Order: sequence, then C-alpha cells, then structure tokens
Amino acid sequence: MSDRVLAFDGIGQDFPAPGQRTKVRVLDGISFEVDRGKFVAVIGPSGCGKSTLLQMAAGLLAPTRGAVHHRGRKVTEINTEVGFVPQQAQLFPWKTLAENVELPLLLRGIAASERRERVANALASVGLTGFEQHFPNQLSGGMQKRGSIARTLVYRPDIILMDEPFGALDAQTRMVMQSDLQALSMDAGASVVFVTHDITEAVLLADHVVVLSQRPSRLLANIPIDLPRPRNMFEPFRNPGFEAAYDAVWIEFRSQIETGRVH
Amino acid sequence: MTELAYDASEGTAPLHRRLAANAARPLQWLLKLLPGIALLLFWQWASGRLIKEIYVSKPTAVAQRLYELFMSGEIYPHLWTTGQELVLGYVIGVAGGVIGGYTLGRSPRLARIFEPYVMAFYGVPKIALAPLFIIWFGIGMGSKIALASIMVFFLVFYNVFAGVRSVDRELVNLTLVMGANQRQLTYHVFLPAAAPFVMLGMRLAIPYSVIGVIVGEFTSSAQGLGLFIHEASSTYDPAGVFAGIVILLAFVTVANFLAGRLERRLLRWRALSGAGPIDV
Repeated sequence: MSDRVLAFDGIGQDFPAPGQRTKVRVLDGISFEVDRGKFVAVIGPSGCGKSTLLQMAAGLLAPTRGAVHHRGRKVTEINTEVGFVPQQAQLFPWKTLAENVELPLLLRGIAASERRERVANALASVGLTGFEQHFPNQLSGGMQKRGSIARTLVYRPDIILMDEPFGALDAQTRMVMQSDLQALSMDAGASVVFVTHDITEAVLLADHVVVLSQRPSRLLANIPIDLPRPRNMFEPFRNPGFEAAYDAVWIEFRSQIETGRVH
Repeated sequence: MTELAYDASEGTAPLHRRLAANAARPLQWLLKLLPGIALLLFWQWASGRLIKEIYVSKPTAVAQRLYELFMSGEIYPHLWTTGQELVLGYVIGVAGGVIGGYTLGRSPRLARIFEPYVMAFYGVPKIALAPLFIIWFGIGMGSKIALASIMVFFLVFYNVFAGVRSVDRELVNLTLVMGANQRQLTYHVFLPAAAPFVMLGMRLAIPYSVIGVIVGEFTSSAQGLGLFIHEASSTYDPAGVFAGIVILLAFVTVANFLAGRLERRLLRWRALSGAGPIDV
C-alpha cells in the first residue's frame, strides 16, 4: 500500500467572469501529492486559487480539468473522509462547544458513550476542558479556532484541509496556535494541507511548501523543508537552517510579488 | 438580557448589592407603569372637561362596563368566538408561512418560479379581501380565520424565506463534509439558523392576526368582539367600544408575553453573548 494520501493531478479550473463572455482561468495544471502524516503548506499570491484546491479535495467543487485522488479514489462527491478547518471558526452559534465538537460523531451515528469520551479527549487536546457548556459567542477568537480544530480532530480524518485558519488571529494568539497545531498534527498522525500567504508560517509548519504563481496559477515549486521537529514557532530565526529554508521559498515567491498586478 | 444579568449576579453578589438589585426591580416596574397611569389620569380628568364624555368615555366608566360585561356573562360568547378565530388563524398562518418560506428558501429553483407570485400577492391589501372571504367562507368563523391566517402567512413567510436564504453557504458545506445528509442538515443547520427569523415573524404577526379577525367581524359576523365593538359604536356606547379594545389589548399582551418566553427559550444562545471569559 502506498503512502500517498492525497494527489492533485493536473488540476485546472475556470470561473465565469462577471460581465464577460470568456471564462477566467484560475488554476492551470497543478499537480502535487501529500504523503501520509505529512504537512504540506500551499502559498501563493491572493486570488490565485489556493482555497479552490481545498474545496476540490473536499468534493465541494469539481475541477474543470484533472482530478483529485484521495487514497487512490477519485473525489467525485462530498468527501466526508477529510476534515475541513475554514478561515473563520464557523462553530454553530446555537450549539454549545461540546455539542459543536460532538456533531460530526452524531452525524456518523456513533454511540453516545463513545461520543462523550471522544469529545472530552478532543477538547482536552486543544486545551478547552471546562468550556464545554459555553456558546461560541462566549469564547474568544482563539478559543473558537481551537474549538473548530477539535471538531475536526474528533472524527479522526486522515487528512485535514486548513484554509488560512490563523489569518484572522492576533500575532500572539497565532504563534501559540501554530505551536499547538504542530504538536496536534504530530500526535494525530494526520496529513495536513495548509493554505496560507505567510511564508514564515509555511516554512515553520510544513514538510513541503508548494508555491503557486499569479493567476492563472501554475505550480512554481514544491520545496521540501527539512528542519528538525519540534520547531520553535515563537522565535523562527532560532531554528537551525530556517534562513536557508526561508530563502529557498522566498526566491520562488519573490517573482510573484514583483510582478504583482492586483492585490 | 438585563434580566439574565440580574439572575447571574444574584447568586454571587455581596448582600448590599443583592438588596440594591431587589429594590431596583420594583422601581423599574414603577417607572414602566408611570406613563400609563398618567395617561389614564389625564383621560379621566379631560373627559367631560376638554372633550364631551359621549365621544371618549372615561376610564372608570370603561372599568365599570367591563365589570358588567363579565358579571352578566354577556361577553363570553364573543370572547370564545374571537379567541378561537385568533388562535386558529394565527396557527394556520404561522404553519403555512414556515413551511412555505422554508421550502422556497431551500430551493432556489422553486423560489425563482414562485417568488414573483408571492411578492405580487403580498402587495394586495388583504383587508380588501374581507368581503370576498365572507362570500367564500360564510359569515361564521371560517372567513375570519382565513383573513387572519393570510395576513399572518405573508409576514412569517418572508421572514423565514429571508432567514433560510441567509444561512452561510460555508457553514452548510462544512456540515456536509462532516457527514450530514439532507435531513440532518435541516435539523442541525437550517432550522436553528432560521429560528430567530421565525420568532421575529411570529411576534410581528400577532397584531396582524388581531386586525384580520376584527376586520372580518366588522365586515359581517354573528358573534365576536369585533361585532361587539361595532355594535357599541353604532349605539353611541363609547365605554363599550373601549371595553372591547381593552380586551383585545389583553389578548395581544398575553400573546406577546408567551412569544417572548418561547423566544428566550429557543434563542438562549443569542442572549448569552459576552457573558463569558475573553482570553485565549
């Protein structure tokens, strides 16, 4: 059995442009793989279709060309085997934190006693024990984000898709969350596809950084990051080899910023 | 909101603050009642002095008339008829509005076809339908129920329709990825998301159901509060008119109170905002 969990094969995507007859080509022949337990960060300029790739992996959108394969099976409908952590926490405001985390298990018909145990474990792993009965609007942004991650971890998907999950957090909260995510993903043994536009974040978290170009975006580089783990998220420059890894990504990414047309 | 804050503080606050809170509540009630009492006093004073009593009656006369009506039992058949019409009209209207609004809200295809029609009928002044309804459903309760429920229907319909359509697409997608089927999606996402809109529609619809029923009874009826008010006004009995209006006021107040209770129960998650810890 191969170690390949997720594969993007020659993905192309066109979107209809408002007020125009011709379609806008957003993605053009993107191919890369995600191996078991690996952390892959996808970076690219804004509007290059990074999030679109995640939607395809979740089966929410069919690519115009090419296909996404999850464990060798082509994704053609909603893929309930993946976990999805969106940009906003998107907890259900009418459910308590515990009910939020419990929902995926409830939807999958798992017995009540096992649900209770797994919810407790998931909440403990993100440090939210004691907040079970709180409603989302009683929690801070960082806590909501943790809740959102717990809600994904609780059903143990083998791949977690994260769409700029820490973009809306303040700088300190963000570092703490990055550090915790590193620990969580190492524990869970799940693969992660992490979309971001922050090079430092990508280099610190990932085993591979996939760099996309401006629209119509192509794959510019797939750069392995061999920094030892656990990495120091709070002082990036203290990780041995960080500078070289950052430079390797930056050289590819720089060209896209210099030729930047629309931001 | 404020009441919840009170409840939360009563358990833990030091004694003097608890006493202050206990004293504050009757004070607030007094402040709330004051304008009403002032209005009644002014009415009592002005009647016969500024305006002839035959035009406006006066509070004591209205109170006495109410007393007579209930003691003699004269009012009970009217009350019973109007009460039934109100409840049935309201319930049918709300149920229709929720089902219709939900169905069209969930299906963009149906919405495209039917929305223009609903919009057109929404613009029709429903009061103008009263005589027609009398012809269709007779002068009994049927015509009043129909009139009340059609007025309630549109209000609830539009609120639920808007509520269901406003549900965040990303939240829906996320729930699908978590493994929800359509039934589970309805139960866990669409219904709770639409609940505040349903409640809003239900509250707004209360006075409209009363208008529908009373207009129907004004137009033609054998029994009911509307008929009673109509007869009182045509026999120069202003005290009787106001007595009828006071009873209707009581109806609306009780209905609003019940709706408020239901809302606080269903939408507990909204009221609790900002009452928790705010750290990472």
